[in-house]
Amino acid sequence: MMNASTAKVEVIAPREPRSPGVKPAGTPLLEMRNIVKRYGAFVALNRMNFHIGENEVVGLLGDNGAGKSTLVKMMSGINPPTSGEIYARGGKVALNCRADSEAAGIETIYQDIALVDSMPITRNIFMGREITNRWGFMKHKAMERTAIEILGSAVQISGIDDPEKEVGFLSGGQKQAVAIARAVHFKRNILLLDEPTSALSVRETEHLLGYVRDLKSEGTSSVLVTHNIYHAFQVCDRFVVMSHGAKVFEARKEDTTIEEVTDHVIRT
Amino acid sequence: MSVSQSAHIHAAIAARNDRSLAAKAIDWIRTRPEGGIAVLFVLVQIACVAGALAFPTSFRYLSEPNIAVLLKSIAPIGIMALGVGVLMIAGEFDLSVGALYSFCAIVAATLSNQWGGDAGAEGASSLAPFGGMLVGLAIGTLAGVIHALVTLRFNIPSFITTLGAMLLWKGATLLYHGAASLRFKPTEPFDTIFDGSLGVVHASIIWFAVFAVIFHFILHHHRIGNHFFAVGGNQKAAVAIGINPTRTKIIAFAIAGFMAALSGIVAGARVGSIQPGGGLGLELVAIAACVIGGHALMGGRGSILGIVLGTCLMFTIQDVLLLLRAPGFYFEMFVGGLIVVAVITNMAIRRKN
Ligand SMILES: Nc1ncnc2c1ncn2[C@@H]1O[C@H](COP(=O)(O)OP(=O)(O)OP(=O)(O)O)[C@@H](O)[C@H]1O
Ligand SMILES: [Mg+2]
Repeated sequence: MMNASTAKVEVIAPREPRSPGVKPAGTPLLEMRNIVKRYGAFVALNRMNFHIGENEVVGLLGDNGAGKSTLVKMMSGINPPTSGEIYARGGKVALNCRADSEAAGIETIYQDIALVDSMPITRNIFMGREITNRWGFMKHKAMERTAIEILGSAVQISGIDDPEKEVGFLSGGQKQAVAIARAVHFKRNILLLDEPTSALSVRETEHLLGYVRDLKSEGTSSVLVTHNIYHAFQVCDRFVVMSHGAKVFEARKEDTTIEEVTDHVIRT
Repeated sequence: MSVSQSAHIHAAIAARNDRSLAAKAIDWIRTRPEGGIAVLFVLVQIACVAGALAFPTSFRYLSEPNIAVLLKSIAPIGIMALGVGVLMIAGEFDLSVGALYSFCAIVAATLSNQWGGDAGAEGASSLAPFGGMLVGLAIGTLAGVIHALVTLRFNIPSFITTLGAMLLWKGATLLYHGAASLRFKPTEPFDTIFDGSLGVVHASIIWFAVFAVIFHFILHHHRIGNHFFAVGGNQKAAVAIGINPTRTKIIAFAIAGFMAALSGIVAGARVGSIQPGGGLGLELVAIAACVIGGHALMGGRGSILGIVLGTCLMFTIQDVLLLLRAPGFYFEMFVGGLIVVAVITNMAIRRKN
């Protein structure tokens, strides 16, 4: 019995993955080294290496189930690694909860939106980061004013004219736009976008991609997870292709072509 | 970079603010969880007052003794329901509040009596009842925290945890005190503070009102209230955005336990004695009040006004049935129907929206 289970563990232990890569230039804002994430016996991330440099937009690509969202949630602090090291600006950090990643200046647009349907838009935007007086009581007027401002910038959200409307009544694209607006408002060093355009119209998608490009010049780096390689090529400086929890390809935009990246996404 | 596009939002808000009062009222009814029940409550009150004016001798709804009795009956369940309702919004249940109601009151009264807090005792102590009450409230709060820790640590439904806790606290009551009723005639000033009256208004209803206002500010205007709604509405989203669900839920459970203890002690002080089995079944009445008041069973939706209106409506109906000399079982039948009707109305209003 003992022998059988030990043998089994060896079978599922991570194999040495190929580790292609681009060496970080300078100290990265965030660097993940040798990251392993297991769900029971399943290895979702297999010695993954990943970094985000200053003033860059990284495209994170790969098939369904490759582990992109797992990595994004890890950087957001809500999905700690089984093993591996994380460095923020060269200093070792642990991202064990959202507060840790917030301290590292990370803001995320989650693939599953992360809004509360039964709460109004304003309350969703300020959820967990309410504007309060020193006793913890909320300043409703200030939050509403800011919410209106936020809803008008970033992505132009069609058809939202009431910040007190419950999110449950919004369309899929409107919800996504609210989630984007929230993240964009609170963004600091790093913005993680996990398939942010999946429900957006063409116009709103263009707007968001343009915005990500502009953010770079304002000093916020981004990671864009997408299945649309053309979108990635519009804004990204570097591409990382994942497959089965490991990095299978990495190249700077100037060193590769759409065809080559597409090939790696499809082939693996 | 981008030009602000908020002008149309400002315009839309201004347009909405410009509408007539009636349009705003309809909007409120449609969007608020307690909207439907508020309408029903007003209609019932109008009907009762009209009936009382038309038949002053046979339907004594507006008579002073009736109003006094009605208000007194609302308070204990109302106080308990405030805690239960807050916990429901955070997405959890506490089925043990009825058992805690008895247990905490028995402990508080026993200690108070032991420490010389009985009004008839020699050398009666004026502080003893407060000491007993403090211990009772602490036990209630602690019990809530324990319910939370077990539920969250083992990741099981609070329905199960507190079903077990209900039997535990019920047994603990019998173990601690036995099945006999316990005299609780506290000394002054405790007696006046919890059993005095201002005209027809009994102290217990004032306590209910005070706590309803406090809870309104906590739930709807304080950060922690927002976290209750977030965690109850979509826990995953709340976690992803940085709210600590464990801490939030422990606070909600603690509030439910505290309010259960408070309601037991307030009820005991009013009646002058405590029945060890007196709280059994009250948890369902409190949950019913919340559901009637527009709370979602799955959490994330509800309001303090809804809890207050739900409780008041339930006891108004009980009162009317008593005035009409209907047998007691009609009350349960009516409340049963009311729960279903309230939820159907709420759903219908929301779907129309
Ligand atoms: N909580 C979990 N428990 C078990 N397995 C999980 C869990 N979360 C993710 N996985 C598995 O990990 C793998 C990677 O999932 P992930 O969501 O990271 O994929 P993805 O690359 O984002 O895919 P997509 O493009 O479809 O969003 C999948 O096989 C998934 O089934
Ligand atoms: Mg994904």
